[in-house]
Amino acid sequence: MTSPNEPGEDKTPQYVYGVTRSGASLPADVAGLDDRPVTLVEDGGRCAAVVSDLPAGRPLGERADLVAHQRVLNALLDAGLVVLPFRFGAALSDRGAVRKELLEGNSDRLGQVMDQLEGRVELRLKATYVQDTVLREIMQQEPEVAELSRRLREVPADVADAVYYDQVRLGELIAQAMDRRREHDGQVLLEAAAPAAEAFVRKTPAREEDVLDASFLVRDDRREEFEKAVEKLGQAHTERIRLRLIGPLPPYDFVPEA
Amino acid sequence: MTGPIAQQTSGTSTVQRGGGGGSSSLADVVDLILEKGLVIDIYARVSLVGIEILTVDVRIVVASVDTYLRFAKAVNRLDIAHDGTSQGLPQFVEGMQESGAKKKTRGALEGAGERLKETFGGGSNDDDEDEDKQPARRRSSRKKEDDE
Repeated sequence: MTSPNEPGEDKTPQYVYGVTRSGASLPADVAGLDDRPVTLVEDGGRCAAVVSDLPAGRPLGERADLVAHQRVLNALLDAGLVVLPFRFGAALSDRGAVRKELLEGNSDRLGQVMDQLEGRVELRLKATYVQDTVLREIMQQEPEVAELSRRLREVPADVADAVYYDQVRLGELIAQAMDRRREHDGQVLLEAAAPAAEAFVRKTPAREEDVLDASFLVRDDRREEFEKAVEKLGQAHTERIRLRLIGPLPPYDFVPEA
Repeated sequence: MTGPIAQQTSGTSTVQRGGGGGSSSLADVVDLILEKGLVIDIYARVSLVGIEILTVDVRIVVASVDTYLRFAKAVNRLDIAHDGTSQGLPQFVEGMQESGAKKKTRGALEGAGERLKETFGGGSNDDDEDEDKQPARRRSSRKKEDDE
């Protein structure tokens, strides 16, 4: 392989965190994987890759590695830089390869994505039912659940095994009732938050009692508006739904996948 | 840096805020880090470095017998708090927990949960712990191979 390296440039494999604008000044104190220094690789085009040396001799993916990946990207974000995050685990053979392969051929393409995302951040809204409140609600509104629950309560402990499947059935009915509520409640939350955002991605909530998990792309000058809308939602639903707003995050959900 | 601020609720706010940068909030973003973002293979091919990546599958099975039993237990507990009926119900509920098909499902899930905890370390805040308890399906060890 011909060497794309500049004279004297070392051949250490590079871990790639993301891409930012060329000429960006990196925050001084940001540390990468294994606390290695984070630097930019530039090719004279519009984009610069955010890299550090790749730790050798071990697999990546420990908690500290994931934290480092996120820490580097968030440091750029906090410094007001536009940053396109790479998915965890991107590595190229050396700085020359980053320049020649990642930057040279893709500068315009990546530059366009940066233009679209400039001045915008990702905010993630997670909403979860207050379990006792929604269970009470289900007990009151779903006769089948109330009846089965009442019946199971009367079963003595020594024959509990005999009604195991009834317990499962009770839980299943509750889960189904929660699903129906989630469909409606999730939509209400989404529609209330979305107008202040440029775009959103709705994810499949992880747990049965989760109402909504959605990421929003929000312009810097509308963040206050967005956060106020979320705050208003929080107040309106405080009895039965807890909201959690995560971010600002690099726009993981809004970079092209291919 | 935003520091370790996963949980903070200001005086009047009903919305919990999670930071993007603090390590304690990793649970909030781990799926993004592992599943979203630009994929290097699309931009560079020849010089990819094949590295082994240890990750957990962060997606969680939504509906399971365990979830159902948890709900059943929670709703039973509700009743107790409400009308104070049926003495000895807690024992009854515990009995349910130990019985039947649980033995088939719980073992595997617990094993996965332990490994998840190992990888993510002991989160100190409530949310992390909450996330840790969720049954991760499996831990996959993926190899990213140089495809050239």
